[in-house]
Amino acid sequence: MSPVPRAPAPAAPAPAARAPAAASPTPPATPAGLKAGGHLGVVSCSASNCHGDVNRPRGSSVAGNEYLIWSKADKHHNSYAVLTSAPALRIAKALGLPDAVSQKRCLDCHTDNVAADARGPQFHIEDGVGCEACHGGASSWLGTHISGQPRKVNLANGMYPTDQPIARAEKCLDCHVGNGERFVDHRFYSAGHPRLGFELDTFSAIQPAHFTVDERYIQRKGNITDVQVWAVGQAAALQRRMDAFIDPKHAPRGMWPEFALLDCQTCHHQFGTIAGGSPGKFKLDDANALMVRVAAARIAPESAQALDQHIAAMQRATIGNWAGVQREAAAVRDIADKLKQTFADHNFTSEDMRAIGGGLIALSGGGIGSSRNDQVAMGLRAVAASLRTSGDLAPPQSEALDRAVKGVDATLTAVSGAHANASALIAALKNLQGTTRR
Amino acid sequence: MRGRVWGRIFGIALAGGLAFAATASAQTPPAAPEATHLGVQNCSGDNCHGRVGRIVGVRVQQNEYLIWSRKDRHSQAYAALKGPRAQRIAKNLGIADPQQAPLCLGCHTDNVPADRRGPQFSVTDGIGCEVCHGGAANWLGTHMAGADHAANIAAGMYPTERPEMRAEKCLNCHLGNSERAITHRLTGAGHPHIPFELDVFTTIQPAHFVADAAYIKRKGQPNDMQVWAVGQAEEVKRRMELLLDPKNAPKGLDIELSLFDCQSCHHARTDLQWQARAGTGLPPGRIKLYDATIVMLNTIAARVAPDAAKTLHDHMLALHKATGESWEAVQREATAVRDAAAALVPVLAKHQFDKADAQALIDAVISGPVAGDDLDYSGAQQRVNALEAIVAAIRALGFADDKQLAGLESARSGLYAAVADDQKFQPQAFTDALKAFKAKMPPL
Repeated sequence: MSPVPRAPAPAAPAPAARAPAAASPTPPATPAGLKAGGHLGVVSCSASNCHGDVNRPRGSSVAGNEYLIWSKADKHHNSYAVLTSAPALRIAKALGLPDAVSQKRCLDCHTDNVAADARGPQFHIEDGVGCEACHGGASSWLGTHISGQPRKVNLANGMYPTDQPIARAEKCLDCHVGNGERFVDHRFYSAGHPRLGFELDTFSAIQPAHFTVDERYIQRKGNITDVQVWAVGQAAALQRRMDAFIDPKHAPRGMWPEFALLDCQTCHHQFGTIAGGSPGKFKLDDANALMVRVAAARIAPESAQALDQHIAAMQRATIGNWAGVQREAAAVRDIADKLKQTFADHNFTSEDMRAIGGGLIALSGGGIGSSRNDQVAMGLRAVAASLRTSGDLAPPQSEALDRAVKGVDATLTAVSGAHANASALIAALKNLQGTTRR
Repeated sequence: MRGRVWGRIFGIALAGGLAFAATASAQTPPAAPEATHLGVQNCSGDNCHGRVGRIVGVRVQQNEYLIWSRKDRHSQAYAALKGPRAQRIAKNLGIADPQQAPLCLGCHTDNVPADRRGPQFSVTDGIGCEVCHGGAANWLGTHMAGADHAANIAAGMYPTERPEMRAEKCLNCHLGNSERAITHRLTGAGHPHIPFELDVFTTIQPAHFVADAAYIKRKGQPNDMQVWAVGQAEEVKRRMELLLDPKNAPKGLDIELSLFDCQSCHHARTDLQWQARAGTGLPPGRIKLYDATIVMLNTIAARVAPDAAKTLHDHMLALHKATGESWEAVQREATAVRDAAAALVPVLAKHQFDKADAQALIDAVISGPVAGDDLDYSGAQQRVNALEAIVAAIRALGFADDKQLAGLESARSGLYAAVADDQKFQPQAFTDALKAFKAKMPPL
């Protein structure tokens, strides 16, 4: 673990909050009529002397090519365009909608869909999930940001702290799992929407990330390990999933439960090809819970035990006890909420990484395509990525992990919705067993 | 059901050559289900139902026991509980020995209480004679003494020859009742799921009766179309009773999934199969109650009782809609569908299904999918069964000559392949097979 101290973690904003809560200390120069914290548009960031440069601008603390990475390699950039595609139209028609591009429900996650009075003159909805969807509306902080003020001033003015694992998790999860306003329910899946399968650390990497963790980055933002981002992301995702159970909108209606709360494969399997759970009964999607449990078993063992009990009670309650499901979901939610902070405060050592890797390997072997299998693979990827940069490994070991990580990334980025395969990672990590720290 | 054989064996002719169903539906069901079960041994004697050749003057084939014991899987129902599949299912359900478990024995043997088992009764006989024909203690005497069928029935023999009575009997296991059902817990543990159709299952059992002159004289002329039609109505009635059973009311996330169409969920997640369905009006992502038999019953009613068909159809759509609204609405509409089906039973049991009906029903069974209507695997399965039953009626009732029958057989050839595997079912391939059938079918 690097001795470089982490930057102080600002409190995570409430989920779904797009505009910062704190008022700007210096009134920014906002275009007439634009709400404070308004979104100025991608054009405000993409200049060649800002974030649209091929080479690092002189004296810049960042690479300068962030816009280029986003516009050329990052699918967030195409997320509006994809709403105009034939598959999106097909989904819309199945849902009884005229199209996808006119629907708030679609635009909320496929664009930076802020209110009309929060859109600056150069804001374009067609930019999809642009800079300010994650970094916050720039009208209140662009001035200090350009004028080279310290980062904490930008954050105080409303820039979003995406470098902090909890804050990043909450931001990504607003779409990649959902929140009280947005949720990809089973109607959407059935109409053809791709399945959401999210892991914060892996998805940060394969986005691909438009930041590089170098000396300057660590100096300004601290050294946050992949496994920490993974652990925090899992706890935050588990919390969101439990919120979805508690949400009255998802209560069973008539004869139908909200199937998106369940493990897809509990129903969508061919006859005679599935094991686990109670025969003929629904199984909850417990992949996030299992991941959080692996991390907690190492970092906060009492919480791991409580989590086990409540998850088991929740699964039991699915047979005939909706009030019980909600009660247990609330208990799991609270544990996840606390663990999120515990993981964010914890200094993950290479021993932690190895122990967590062992815990994940013990969970591997679920059916290919199951959410558990995907999560195990992505968790192992985070463990390998952390170990690789821990400085504890001999170069050949590090290179072997590097290859395994890149293999997973290549699979996940090659085909949309591809399932991660953990076998190469498991082999590389097992080779580390018995080796001592350098 | 091996049942009807017994009835006809020593019975004296019923009055005249009346159409059998009309006579049958005037009878009242037996009111003595409590009789002691004597056991298969009491029927299988070589001068009774265990004979290879028929004794001159006897009204039945006398080989009924031999057919049952050699070809009919009902005779293996208890032994099956010892097999590897049963062991696996039992293990999944936490059952130590399925041959001791009431849950299994209820349908895998003649599981009457101990005080109603005669000295020669053996549970190892599986689904033996008296499961379907009724405990023989009260009627074996009149039966052996050569009394007429009506006298046996009055003494407690079960009237398996009447389609509605046969359907009720078979459905007790082949769909379930308030005491037993193949719940989703059982299928989830590995129990087979076998969609039932009365006429085809009677044929492939295989039947241990032959509708010859002696049979027709005593019990009337069986009509496969009628057996099919009445069987569908009874199936819908029973299905709705199961849906209305308080045990099956949804409890939180737990719903009795066996009431739904299997392929509604059990399809590969990657095949984007959803499309708008006029036949149900369901939005995407919702599971559909099994309605293949309601659809068939509606097809039959449209020919025989058009007003009833309209009522049934309206309530079926309302039932589908209700599944996403409230349990109260489901109960209301399920009751309406049940009542509509129940009202159709006597109508269908009385109707004289003739050659014109055969032609019209074939057209009706195939026209929906050919015209582009919704088509699920379960619906395709029931359509194949329907065509099988109608063709059987055409053959048995002499509605076609040998050449036409050969033409019908050849026209049907592609249908079975199209429904052979639920996981590979392609609606278009089945529709093409129906179109080929229509094109090749000889005019009657």
